[in-house]
Amino acid sequence: MHYSIKNILHKNYTAVLLLAMAITVFGMEGWSQAESAKEDDYFKIMKVPAPEGIILEVGGLCTLPNGDLAVTTRRGDVFIVENPTSQHPYFRKFASGMHEVLGVAYKNGALYCAQRGELTKLVDTDKDGKADIYETVYAWPVSGNYHEYSFGPKIAPDGSFFVTLNLGFPPDWWHPKSFVPWRGWALNISEDGNATPWAAGFRSPCGISMIDGELFYTDNQGDWVGSGSIVQIKKGSFYGHPASLVWTNMPNSPLKVTQDQVFSKINPRLDVDKDGNPVKPPNIVNEKFMAEYEMKKFIPELQTPAVWLPHGILGISNAEIVKIPEGSFGPFPGQLLVGDQGQSMIDRVFMEKINGEYQGAAWAFRSGFQSGIVRLAWAKDGSLIAGETNRGWGSAGEATEGLQRLVWNNKIPFEMRAIRAMPDGFEIEFTKPVDKKTAEDIASYSIESYIYKYHAVYGSPPVNTQKCIIKGVKLSADGMKARLIVNNLRRYYIHTINLFGIQDKENSFSLVHPTAYYTLNNIPEGDKLSMTGVSTKNSAAGTNKTGGATARGTSSGAVTYASVKNILLKNTCLSCHNPTKRQVGPAYVDVAKRKYSVAQIMSLIKNPKPENWPDYSTPMAPMPQVSAADARKIAEYIKSLEKK
Amino acid sequence: MKEDKMKFPVLKRRRCQLAVFVLMTTTSTVLQAQNKIDLASLTAFQNPSANWHLAGDVRADLNQNNTLILSAGTGILVTQAEEGKHGQDLLSNSSYGDLDLELDYMMAKGSNSGIYLQGRYELQLLDSWSVIIPKAGDNGGIYERWDDSKPEGQKGYEGSAPRQNASRAPGLWQHIKISFQAPRFNTAGQKTENARILRAELNGVVIQENVELSGPTRGALQNTEVASGPLRLQGDHGTVAFRNINLTAYDKPKPELLDIKYAVYKGNYKPEIDYKKLVADTRGSADILSSNVGKLDNEFFTRYTGTLRIKEPGEYSFNLNPAGGNGSIIINNKAVVNTGQRKGKATLSAGDISFELIYAKIYDYVKPGFALSVAGPGIREYLISDANVASGETVDPILINAAVNTNLRSFMDIDTIRVTHAISVGSPLQLHYTYDLDKGMIVQVWRGGFLDATPMWHSRGDGSSRPSGSVLKFGKPIMALQTLNSPDAVWSADTAGSSYKPKGYSLDGNDRPAFRYSIYNTIVNDVTRVIDGNQGFHREISIENPVANLYLLLAEADIIETPSDGLYLVNDKSYYIRIDDAGGVKPVIRSTNGHKELIVPVQKKISYSILF
Repeated sequence: MHYSIKNILHKNYTAVLLLAMAITVFGMEGWSQAESAKEDDYFKIMKVPAPEGIILEVGGLCTLPNGDLAVTTRRGDVFIVENPTSQHPYFRKFASGMHEVLGVAYKNGALYCAQRGELTKLVDTDKDGKADIYETVYAWPVSGNYHEYSFGPKIAPDGSFFVTLNLGFPPDWWHPKSFVPWRGWALNISEDGNATPWAAGFRSPCGISMIDGELFYTDNQGDWVGSGSIVQIKKGSFYGHPASLVWTNMPNSPLKVTQDQVFSKINPRLDVDKDGNPVKPPNIVNEKFMAEYEMKKFIPELQTPAVWLPHGILGISNAEIVKIPEGSFGPFPGQLLVGDQGQSMIDRVFMEKINGEYQGAAWAFRSGFQSGIVRLAWAKDGSLIAGETNRGWGSAGEATEGLQRLVWNNKIPFEMRAIRAMPDGFEIEFTKPVDKKTAEDIASYSIESYIYKYHAVYGSPPVNTQKCIIKGVKLSADGMKARLIVNNLRRYYIHTINLFGIQDKENSFSLVHPTAYYTLNNIPEGDKLSMTGVSTKNSAAGTNKTGGATARGTSSGAVTYASVKNILLKNTCLSCHNPTKRQVGPAYVDVAKRKYSVAQIMSLIKNPKPENWPDYSTPMAPMPQVSAADARKIAEYIKSLEKK
Repeated sequence: MKEDKMKFPVLKRRRCQLAVFVLMTTTSTVLQAQNKIDLASLTAFQNPSANWHLAGDVRADLNQNNTLILSAGTGILVTQAEEGKHGQDLLSNSSYGDLDLELDYMMAKGSNSGIYLQGRYELQLLDSWSVIIPKAGDNGGIYERWDDSKPEGQKGYEGSAPRQNASRAPGLWQHIKISFQAPRFNTAGQKTENARILRAELNGVVIQENVELSGPTRGALQNTEVASGPLRLQGDHGTVAFRNINLTAYDKPKPELLDIKYAVYKGNYKPEIDYKKLVADTRGSADILSSNVGKLDNEFFTRYTGTLRIKEPGEYSFNLNPAGGNGSIIINNKAVVNTGQRKGKATLSAGDISFELIYAKIYDYVKPGFALSVAGPGIREYLISDANVASGETVDPILINAAVNTNLRSFMDIDTIRVTHAISVGSPLQLHYTYDLDKGMIVQVWRGGFLDATPMWHSRGDGSSRPSGSVLKFGKPIMALQTLNSPDAVWSADTAGSSYKPKGYSLDGNDRPAFRYSIYNTIVNDVTRVIDGNQGFHREISIENPVANLYLLLAEADIIETPSDGLYLVNDKSYYIRIDDAGGVKPVIRSTNGHKELIVPVQKKISYSILF
C-alpha cells in the first residue's frame, strides 16, 4: 500500500471543535481539564496490510463465516482477505471484471454483489479459490448515466435481497432524474430472480443496511435532502425525493404517490437564467418553507428520518450503518455506527422506539481515517473494518482508497452512552459516573432545537433554531444518569444537546464527545418528573452565556487564526476547511489566492459557488445561518492570508 | 456514493481538450479539395506495367496464396503477382511533397506490398492477419532502412513497428490514412529537416505518430532525398488491390506570426474597450502566441497584436480554442472569429497584414491556455500557438491490456447507443469482443489493444470503457435469437414476448466466459472463443429445449455476398461469416428495408466463425 501514515495521525478536529465550542459558550469557566481523553485514547486506527499494486477502492465489505473478509472494489474486483486482522493478511482475488461493485453479502456458500446493472451470485464450483460462476440473479434497467450507482445487497430474514438504486444526473444535475424504472427505489429480489419494487423517494442511498432483520439506509444530502440521516425502509413508503415517483403508475408499484402531490405543495424550483438556461436554484433565506415532517399531513406514505446526522458535523455523505455486537467496543453494544465518506469519520447512534417509530441520538465517534468511509464490517475479533474510497469526491482523509481497522483497547471512554426521550425532557445515561457538582449544575448543559427545509434546493441550512430552557436536572444515585427537565421540546426537531460542563467522577475529564443530536420524532406519553430531588442550580444564571470567544475574537485588532478559530469551529467551517491543508474543501490559504474582497467572501459564505472549485467534489452548502459579524470576521481572516 | 457537483464543468473541459486534440491530429478537409485518383483508367500513372489491372470487383481466396479473383470493370486498381514473373511498381504522374493520403486496400493471402511516399519512404502492406506482435516489416510498419556496407544481419536499421496489429484478413478492405511531411531543404539544397510520418491510422486506430525518417527506407526509388516525388505503389511482391485513393497535397508555405506583442489587463473583456484608456497589468513581446505570458490566473484578458505574413493568397480558416473563457481574432482590421465563437474564415492576399487576438479568461476552474490552428490553400492545418498551453488539463490514461484472458463489464457505446449491460472479453491473442448481456448479441469485435478504462475509472467516471484497438461493429444491438412466424417476418427490435432473462456466465479454466440466458422457456448457452491461429472468433450457440421457428440473426448489412458455400462476405467486404455447423439447415439472406439480413433457423445447435 502506498498510503502515508500521516492520515492515521490526522488531527481530531471534531473533538477540537466541541472543546472549542465549550470555550465559546462558557468562556474558560466550567472547563478545567486540558488533558481530557480523546477518541484515539480508546479506539486505534490500524492498517490492513495489502500487497503493493492492489487498488482497493472499496465498494463492498462483508465478513464470511470463517472470519475471512470479502472486499469488492469500484474497479470491479472481489478479494477474499484471509486472516484480515493479523499482521500478514493474505489477499486472494476471488472475482474480477465486474461493473463497479458497491456491495457484497454472503449466503449459503456464495457471494452476492450489486453491480451497476444487476445482482450477481458468485460461486467457486471447482474449488480453485476463485469464482467460476457469475450468475445474474436479476438485471435491472440502467440508462447508462454515470450517477446510476447501485448498492447492496442486504439479506432479509426470509433470505431475499434488498438493493437501493441511485438517481441519474441530467445536465442540470441539481435536479436528478429517474431515467428508467426503478432508479431512486429500493428493490426486493428473491433468490430465483423475481424483483419487487419496495419503496421510492431515494436520492443517493449509499448506506443500505440490515439491522436486526430491519432495513435501514442513509441518503446523501442534496436536493430534497436537507442533511444525511438514518431512515427505516418500509414497503410502500416514500422517502422524500420526488424524481422516482414517475414509476408509481406501474402495476407493481407498492405506492401511488405522484410528483404532482409533492409539487403542488413545494416549488420544484426549475430556475432558469435570463436566456432560459437551467440554473442551480439558490436557497432563499426569507421564505415560507416546509420541513419534511409537515409534508406527512399531505402524503402519509412519507417516511421521515429516524435519526438526522447533521450535515457538516456528523458527515457530509453518510454511508453504511452497522450494529455494535455484544462484547466489542465496550459500553455501546446494540448501538449503531455509521461511516461517512466526505469526512472520513464514523458516527455513533443510539435508537429507541417511541409510538412504534424509531428515533434517537447521534454523536461523532471516530474521525481520522485515511480516505472516505463507504463500508463497515465487523471482524471476528471484534474490531471494525472500514472500506474506503474517495475517488471523484474527495474526503478529509486524503488517500484515494483504503482498508483500515478500528480497534478498541478495552478502556471505557467517558461518553454519553444513551439519550432517551422523556415526556418532559431527556434522560442522559453515561458510561462512567459523573462528577456530582458539575452534573447537578444546569449551566453544564445547553439544548437547542432546529430542523431542515424540505425543498428542491441542494441541501438546507439549519432553520427555526430555538433555545430550550432547562428547568432542572436530577442525577441518579449512582451518578450514571442525568434526567433533564426541558421546556419547549419540539416534535420532529433535532435537539442539539451540549454537555460541555460535565466531568466524570474519576478523572474530572470532559466527555470525549460532549454534543449529541437527538431527533425527537415522538415525545413519549407519561407522567412528568416530580421536582423531588431535582437540582435547579445554575451557576451561569445572570452571566453572559454567549459572550466568550466570539466577543474576544472581535475585540482584538489584527485577525489571526487563533482569534477566529472558535468562530470557525462554532459555524462548523473546520469540518471541511483547514488553514493550510486541503480537506473536503480548499485550504483557507488557497481561498485567499482568489483575492476575493471581504464582501465577496461574506456573500460566498451565504451563497457558495462550488463551480469555482472543480477539483473539489463536494460542494459547500449555503451557510446563511452564519451571522454577519461572524462572516465578516471569517472573511477578514481569509483576506489576511493573501500574499501581499 | 455522493452525487455529482462539478461533473459538467469537468466534462465540458474535457470536450474542449478533445477538440484541440482532434484539430491538431487530423487534417483539414475544409479548404483542401481532396484529389481522388480516377480509376476509370490508369492514366494517372507512369507507364503501368502488365501486372497492373483495373477491376470492377475483387475477391480473395482464403486458401490460395497471392490470389485475387477479378471481375471486369473499373474503380479498383490491382497488381497481380504471377508465377515466375517479376512485376513492377506503379508511380503516379504527379509528384508530392507534404501529403495526406487515404485509401482502401485489400491483401491477397500471403501477399506483400507497400506504399512509398515520394517513391522513397515505405509504409509496409502485408498479409499480417493473425500476427500478435507486429514488427516494422508487418502491415502498417514503416519499413527498415538498409546499409549494404554492414555485415550480414546488421544491414537493416531503423524502421518503426505499428503500435498494434490493426490488420484485417485477406480479402477484406482495409483503410489507411497517412499524413506525410516531406524533408526540408535550404536554398543550397542541403537537407534541413528529416521527413516525417506525422500520423498513420489503420482501420481506425493510430499506428504511427510523428515518426522521423532519417532517410529513404529499403527498396527506395532512389537513395537521394527530394522536396517532392511520386507516389509509388509496390507491385513486384504480391497481389493487392487499391481503391478510393485520395491525395491532398500541401505544398504551400505556412503563414508566420511576427512581432507579437501582448498586453494583459485585469477584469472582464468588453468588446467596446478603448485600449488607450486602459492600463495593462503586464506588457511585452513574445516569440510565439502563448497564454503563458502573464501572472494572472483568472478574470483577465490578453490582447495580442502582431503581423501575419501570408505567402500564399487564398482562403484561410482559423480555429481558436480558448480554455476557461472566450476569444476573438481580428485580421486586417476585420473580425474573423467573433467573441464566443471558435471558428472563422478569411480570404487573405499575400503580404504582411495586421493580426489581433483577444483571449479573455473567465472561469476560475480552468487553467489559462488556448490553441489557435490555421489551415489555408495548400497548407495543412497546424498549430500556430504554443503547444505547451494548448489546453488546461491532461489526464493519465487507464489502459487495460489483456496480458491474460480478461473480462470487464462496463457501459459500452456503440455509435449513439449505450449498451448498459455489456461485458468485454479480452485475450492475450489480441482478439477481443463485447457481448450485450441484454440481447445475447456480440456487438463488436476488435484486434489490438483491449480497453481504455479512463472514462470509467478516472475521477468519478461515466461507467464506460472503449476499445483501444481496431474495431468491427455489428450495428444496432438487437436480439440475437427470435422466433419468426415465417422466414419473412420482421426481426423485432426488443425482447418483448420472448421472456428473455440473462443468467450470467461461467468461466472455464482459462477464465473464458460461456454465457447463458433463458428465452422462450429454454436455456441458451452461448460460447465464443478465439480461433486457433487468431483468424477471428468461433461461436457456438446451443439450445437446451428446441423452440419452434427459432432463428439466429447472423449479420445485418447493406451488402452480404456469398463467395462460396457457407461463407459470407458482409458489409462491403468488412468481415466474413463462415458457417461451421448449422445442423444441416441453410442460412437465408433476406432483404428488409433495403438492407440485408443473414438469418439461420436454429434447432439444437449452431456454430459459425467471424473472420476479420
